Amino acid sequence: MASFDSVNYSLRPSKSVQRGLVFEGLRAISTALGLDNAVYVGFGSIWFTDFVMAHKVLSIDDMVSIETNEIGFRRAVFNKTYRTITMMHGLSQEKLPELLLIQGYVARPWIVWLDYDSALNEGVVQDFQWVLNNAPPNSICLFTFSATQNAYGDKPIHRPARIKALLGDVVPDDLSKDACSKEALPVTLAQLAMDYLKSEVADSARPGGFVEAFRIPYLDSVGMVTVGGILPAVGAVPAVRSVVSSDTWRCLTNEVIQAPQMTLKEVAALQAELPQIMQITRAHIQSLGFDLQDEQIQSFQRYYKYLPNFAEIVA
Amino acid sequence: MIPEGKSKADANPTKAFFVRMITRDITLEDCIFDLIDNSIDGAWELSGGHPMNLGDATDLSQFKISIEIQSDSFTIQDNCGGISLDDAVDYAFTFGRKEDAGTENYSIGVYGIGMKRAVFKLGADINIQSTFLDDGKRSSFCVPIRVNDWLVSENEHWDFDIETSEDLPQPGVRIFVSDLTDVAKRSFESPRFIQNLRRLISRDYALHLHRGLTIEVQGKAVLGWAIELRQGGDFSPMRATFTERIQGEDVYVELLAGMAASPPDSTEPSEDFDESLNRSGWYVVCNGRIVLAADKTATTGWGTEGWPQWHPQYSGFMGIIVFSSRRADLLPLTTTKRSVDETSAIFRQFRPKMREVTKEWINYTNTRKQVRAEAIQREEVAKSIPIFEVAPRPDVVLPRIVAVPKVPEANVLYSVPKPRMLKLASAFGNITMNYKDVGLKSFEYAYSDLVGED
Repeated sequence: MASFDSVNYSLRPSKSVQRGLVFEGLRAISTALGLDNAVYVGFGSIWFTDFVMAHKVLSIDDMVSIETNEIGFRRAVFNKTYRTITMMHGLSQEKLPELLLIQGYVARPWIVWLDYDSALNEGVVQDFQWVLNNAPPNSICLFTFSATQNAYGDKPIHRPARIKALLGDVVPDDLSKDACSKEALPVTLAQLAMDYLKSEVADSARPGGFVEAFRIPYLDSVGMVTVGGILPAVGAVPAVRSVVSSDTWRCLTNEVIQAPQMTLKEVAALQAELPQIMQITRAHIQSLGFDLQDEQIQSFQRYYKYLPNFAEIVA
Repeated sequence: MIPEGKSKADANPTKAFFVRMITRDITLEDCIFDLIDNSIDGAWELSGGHPMNLGDATDLSQFKISIEIQSDSFTIQDNCGGISLDDAVDYAFTFGRKEDAGTENYSIGVYGIGMKRAVFKLGADINIQSTFLDDGKRSSFCVPIRVNDWLVSENEHWDFDIETSEDLPQPGVRIFVSDLTDVAKRSFESPRFIQNLRRLISRDYALHLHRGLTIEVQGKAVLGWAIELRQGGDFSPMRATFTERIQGEDVYVELLAGMAASPPDSTEPSEDFDESLNRSGWYVVCNGRIVLAADKTATTGWGTEGWPQWHPQYSGFMGIIVFSSRRADLLPLTTTKRSVDETSAIFRQFRPKMREVTKEWINYTNTRKQVRAEAIQREEVAKSIPIFEVAPRPDVVLPRIVAVPKVPEANVLYSVPKPRMLKLASAFGNITMNYKDVGLKSFEYAYSDLVGED
């Protein structure tokens, strides 16, 4: 089943936090590099949530959405939110190379966010390579994939070999099964996938290199991972490094984001206590008349600005 | 008539040419290994400088070499005794070994070029710091090299300044390089480079690590590769030792060869990484350092007279030839220590012995194809043992199998989408199960359901 049949992308809290962080980051880089003429490339599904944000937050007009599923493609064509979205029907491994054929695209930076339904697999790694080797200077690339443990082997002991088969030499020979447990896998995969991206760019001697910018593991009913970075033009490297090394940069984290599912009433009650510097305690929540786990309170306090408005209609 | 003062054509090299030339044909990894070699030579000398054969029990556990790689700098530090001030003044920084330089016992370094070449390959701002014992008293100095300043300084003066320095925590050497070259910068940004460096250290210094030496990369000790051959049942590796006298010096040679893993069932190309294929071949060790690993080329004889080209059918074979001498220049070392000098007399002298044992294996794999099931059963009896524990034996022992009539076999070849194959492997309990086993299990599953017992 394609994920658009099961999930409305705009409503998942951790996903919203991840998306909020990503676009906050993209806006900062876009400002530093002047990416108004960038092209946005992604998997818009039938909801186009990230495409709407790319248009509104980053002022990007030209966008390309790739859809594999035949019915999904027809629905995407029907649902696409802007005239300037080009739909491509097929596998990303086949369709990404066609970007080079679109007039003018090789001379403009790309913001590529490939947000897969699936776990890391050979096709995803092929896309990593293609984007890193072909995106024009000053492009930004992001990849989101599932870190659900069974996709890498039913038993933890099989997972290191599977991950090694996917990501190759960047995977340490002593990767332990503990690092591949359900809880640890999102952070492990985020780190190793990032190592892969860095290595791929360094080993191909791409001018300007790769600047690590996005590493966001999060829990969205299953563990998910977003990794990515910037492929700056040689002259833009200092500006880009300055953005991602600033204290306000929040897109490089090893903490798994677990935004709680909460009712409108709970959100309203808790939000009314914010912002505040002190950590809200569980006792305080209980005094408000309900209850949450400590990690949920912490996650809410840290990321509440990025949580979805539950009644929002994307249009 | 040649005018006065014009009777000689200037043939002196420029510094820039020299630096470019010596750093051109060596990899960054091998440069780093040159620095490790220097540290190990210090440790080996302090430990008594014995012949570096497999049976030697020298304990190197008090010595440690630490490598720290950053995106903008490189540091290597050891506690292996340091360079003395006299050696620094007269020898250590000379380009090439001086004729009057003493022989370091059983050293790996031989040409007197490694450290200079390594630091030039790494970067342009270098500081070499040494703490050593001078009559039992700790003493230190440093040699800062700013390559760009040195290059533009007068060409007649190739010397480096020696300056006073603080003591290191223990006698040893610390080399710090910044203002990295492009190749170093790019490599150091690659986590893959660092992981592969660890793997190479694990393999090429396996014999030193086995003796307790610690080599750390990014604060984490590298585990030595456990080199093993299989012994038991009808299998016994060969292990023979020889001593040759060259230029009045003894050269010790040790030859081991046999089965390290079962040969493959199929020699069709596979996209999956094959560890035993990768590790198969000949290894050449000079004074403890593996300088040629898993070689399958004409360098070790494959494809030369009386010896077929390497073929994946021969996977599983491993041969190791260990050369050791007080004088490293008598060994078949190249300057990069990444291959062997094929013209070396001692190496050529032993190639026929390498060929004999290799041919035994080739014959075995040829017979094996006809009696695979029986061969596999016999191979399973043989267990891996460390090469240090292999018993002396002049020849390799392999099973003498005679092909017997058998039930004709049908080979099955088909393709399926890889994601489906992985799902089925996972359903059989192991996502990393090889495709052949998935196929066999599927066949047995269907056979049992649809045909039942034979």
